[in-house]
Amino acid sequence: MTLPPEVGNRFLPSVDRLEVVMRAARRAFERGDIEGALREDDIAIQLKPEYDAAWLLRGHIFRKDGNIPGAIEAFAAALKQNGESEEGWLGLASALHEVGRYNEAREAYDRLLKIHPRSIEAWIDKGAALHELRDYRAAIACYDKVLGMRPEHAGAWNNKGAALMRLGDESAAARCVEEALHLNPDFFDAIANRVLLFRKAGRHGEIVLWADRAFRIREAPWLWIVKGQAHLGLGESTLGMKAFERALALDPKSKEAKAGLRKAKLLRGKTDFYRGVYECFGTHLAGDPGCAECEIRARCHEVSP
Amino acid sequence: MSLPSLAEVEHADWPSLQRICETLGLNPKGRSAVVRMRVTDFVRRRGHAPSWKPNREHQAALLTRLGSPDLAERVWESTIQLDAPAPWMGLGHAQLAGGFLGEAAKSFGHAAAMGDSSAELHRAEVLAARGDFDGAARACDTYLASHPRDLRGLLMKSSFLARAGFEEESTKVLHTAVDLHPEVPVLQRTLGLALLKAGHLAAAAEAFHEAARQDPKDLDAQAMRGAALLLAGRTREAIGLLREVLELDPSRADVLNNLGIAYLSSGRGRSAAVNLERAVKHLESPRILLNLGKIREAEGDRTEALQAYEQVLRIRAKDPDALAGRRRLSPSEKTRTTPTKPAKQTPKKPGKSTRARSRPSR
Repeated sequence: MTLPPEVGNRFLPSVDRLEVVMRAARRAFERGDIEGALREDDIAIQLKPEYDAAWLLRGHIFRKDGNIPGAIEAFAAALKQNGESEEGWLGLASALHEVGRYNEAREAYDRLLKIHPRSIEAWIDKGAALHELRDYRAAIACYDKVLGMRPEHAGAWNNKGAALMRLGDESAAARCVEEALHLNPDFFDAIANRVLLFRKAGRHGEIVLWADRAFRIREAPWLWIVKGQAHLGLGESTLGMKAFERALALDPKSKEAKAGLRKAKLLRGKTDFYRGVYECFGTHLAGDPGCAECEIRARCHEVSP
Repeated sequence: MSLPSLAEVEHADWPSLQRICETLGLNPKGRSAVVRMRVTDFVRRRGHAPSWKPNREHQAALLTRLGSPDLAERVWESTIQLDAPAPWMGLGHAQLAGGFLGEAAKSFGHAAAMGDSSAELHRAEVLAARGDFDGAARACDTYLASHPRDLRGLLMKSSFLARAGFEEESTKVLHTAVDLHPEVPVLQRTLGLALLKAGHLAAAAEAFHEAARQDPKDLDAQAMRGAALLLAGRTREAIGLLREVLELDPSRADVLNNLGIAYLSSGRGRSAAVNLERAVKHLESPRILLNLGKIREAEGDRTEALQAYEQVLRIRAKDPDALAGRRRLSPSEKTRTTPTKPAKQTPKKPGKSTRARSRPSR
């Protein structure tokens, strides 16, 4: 490493060195070179132990590396130097959240919100921490705060829906999830919440429909199990078997998937309905023009709640 | 093959939806909502993102709404042109939101000078916010010179004049508004309220009567007419009217209070106390409680009166009337050798109700 030529003329030559080292650490971090980033950051901290930016970077490096306790220590050290650092409080709160220390995370978010009361990220994350602490009403208040500032925030709508679902207010939850999906039709979490709402209502047809939409974005073993159970509810044993098999492929130890598969195999001896091109099977709606001309409407009517 | 727009898909009827499916090679079978969702997904994935992007004016307006007036101000400043008043208006709003009232007034002034006459009304609001009600009324005058029939301008001017202390002038402006817009029923009530505040009780009663005639369901106008009649000394008429209002809405604490005062004025202390007790049940207001305390005191019911004063002090700890009442009635006073004759505290004015306190609607 070569130092810039003007270093010698400065009263504090180490400042230039510090800048160069920090820049190198940041570049290495952005490249994904964790070791290199940590090495350069170590040098920066040796040059100036009370340099908050170096401690913040150290926190981010540790967090990316999965060393959450180390990240918490680093963010705490950064905050010791500069207690007003938004980045420091957010990093600390996120790391605490990650290791399940929700109460401390909430306190950290509160500190951050004192400094920056309009931080959308802090409100959302505080809501998530409160959700984990099962304080759903307070979590909803946080999401409402976000929606007051950003009514188009799909994440806040979805989280509010999830909290309302926990409080047992399914109709309000459905409205929130609907809003989230209106704003972002490919929002996996919102689709998954919609599936869960339909499961609570026992609407197998809608479960299958929305689970299939979720799979276009991401797969999850639990979702395959829910879908398999819905197929069983619709009398579609083969489709149910396929769903449970997929769940087992993703999570071979899942007892629920194994039980579901056994059940599907048993059911197959009695009934195995084939829906053909009708992806909406099980969602019959009287008076709908599409349902009126459907070839399997009699069967669909039977299994629609 | 051209894609239909999302709006077209959203509003397409069933045959059109099937046609679109055929054209796009999609499965046309199933419940209409599901088929529509299928087409929407296809269009969303294949179609281009909407071409609209917010320009600097949009960004600035959004920033003001989102609560960042300082940023909005900077963006508005960058959009200012020589011949367009709109950026000055936007800048004025951002400055107003940021609390820079002087700057905001100047910006609205610039917009007005560029030909946006409504800017004068905004300037009037800013001047009023600074406490310069005279200036605000003058700004309204400038606006009304070009829009003499504009109701908003007239009502704003009237309101600013009243706040500046020119109640007579304010009432005149309201009269003009009523003459120009006889079809707006709420104007009569606003006029009545202004007249009531200015002490023209008979005229106020007349205005409320007119408001109630235009809209027989307007209980507020009826109740205020009752109050005006009571203040004008037409107690019997007031009692009749207030009772009519209570038949339609027995839960109105303000009317119960005013009826109580009316009964007291006509020498029916017992009825007065009954109505005030009912009013307290609906609204525990210090004014009503004070009236009740005074009536009970006048009737010689010291314990009950003291209770009413104590209740007022629980709501408003330093209420001078309640403190005076408690001093008069507290047990230590009894030790005096020469009992002081209780001063006549007959409340002459009807208690202020929440309704009567509200500002005239525009």
